[in-house]
Amino acid sequence: MAQSSDVFVVVPIEMDPSTKAIQALSSSNDPLLTRELEALNNLHQNLKSAPGITNGIPPPPTSVGPKLSTQIERMRQTGNNAFRKQNYAEAVDLYTLAISMALRRPPWEPSALLREELQQLYANRAQAHISINNWPEALADVNASIDFKRVGNPKAHWRKGRCLKEMGRYEEAKEALEFGLEFGNDPELANMLKEVNEALSKRKL
Amino acid sequence: MVKLSIIAPLVYIAVLVGTLAVFSSLYRKRKANKAASLEPWFGPHYPRDIYLTLLHQENPKVPDNILKAALVRRATEDIRRVVTIRQAKGSLQQLLQKGSIGDDLWTRFTVAEAEIEEELKDVAMEANGFSSEWAASIFQSANEIVQATRVRERAAEVAEQAATERAWWNEKRERASRELLGENNSDEDGVLVESSGSRGAARPGAATRGKGKSAS
Repeated sequence: MAQSSDVFVVVPIEMDPSTKAIQALSSSNDPLLTRELEALNNLHQNLKSAPGITNGIPPPPTSVGPKLSTQIERMRQTGNNAFRKQNYAEAVDLYTLAISMALRRPPWEPSALLREELQQLYANRAQAHISINNWPEALADVNASIDFKRVGNPKAHWRKGRCLKEMGRYEEAKEALEFGLEFGNDPELANMLKEVNEALSKRKL
Repeated sequence: MVKLSIIAPLVYIAVLVGTLAVFSSLYRKRKANKAASLEPWFGPHYPRDIYLTLLHQENPKVPDNILKAALVRRATEDIRRVVTIRQAKGSLQQLLQKGSIGDDLWTRFTVAEAEIEEELKDVAMEANGFSSEWAASIFQSANEIVQATRVRERAAEVAEQAATERAWWNEKRERASRELLGENNSDEDGVLVESSGSRGAARPGAATRGKGKSAS
């Protein structure tokens, strides 16, 4: 049935008078409705608790709360310092903290910013994991970093190649490195590819 | 005789027009019915229904802030639908020209397109009802919410992926070390020297290799 613009379906919901949360009536058990209501209540809480919002309307995505950005940046720097002092496990924890902080950004803020922060943090955490030979965790991190930023992210492509190579998955490493080289030539990527190719031909012998 | 000759053409015309009118109205009704009976392109629009239900709830009246949040949710779903429609349009047009898809599918698509346009106008009007400048930014905000949701979903996959990769890697290493131990055991049969010393080496040490790029 085509839905006309002035007709709507009344959904079985009510407002909890004390918590102001919208909930489905107990008679309905529609999982999609429940999920949507949950998202609505979350957004409402988000809007209510966000500083600088008085009228319940999300501001246009041109401005960003500067406080959270500096906090995340500072956490990243602390992680980098720990990394430089070779406290790799600590660096992993710090980057993890920074990631969870970035994910707590209000959803209406520019998503490009979130993407940029996350790709960097995941790439850094991957490097820390690599330094303590945590190849699987590093691979998962670096995959996310590449998904968030493919172009101009040769370090992440290199790290992916490294992880796969160290785990003996040379074919996958080769694919990953070739994929990385599609976004611009990088001598270190090419080097790694050469190593992987040598390992592959040695294995075939 | 004279009378009859006037009535005859009039009756003829009346019958002709009547038949045409009946036929046309039947035809149109059937066509409308068919269009209405077509399956909608999208499923039910929950955020829209929730918003309108809340808007019409009287006892107790829903506060404005919740309505605003509900309107943002509605705009978010609209953005998702608009993107789907835009992405599908080009290829659907091509398929229609080639005759690969039927008219029914195309009708469903155009109905959905018209609906979403109405829906966007409606949301913009509602937004302006809350605040005079909101209509300009509500869809921008909604778009960011859609994107951010996608980013968050991807980020949530990381831990899962790490766990699967870790399980695979541990299993592989265990297999490798078992093979190694097996060899060691067979060695022990022959040579009885220092076989226990190599057992601890199954896990790669925490020493770092020099090649890692520095963090940025």
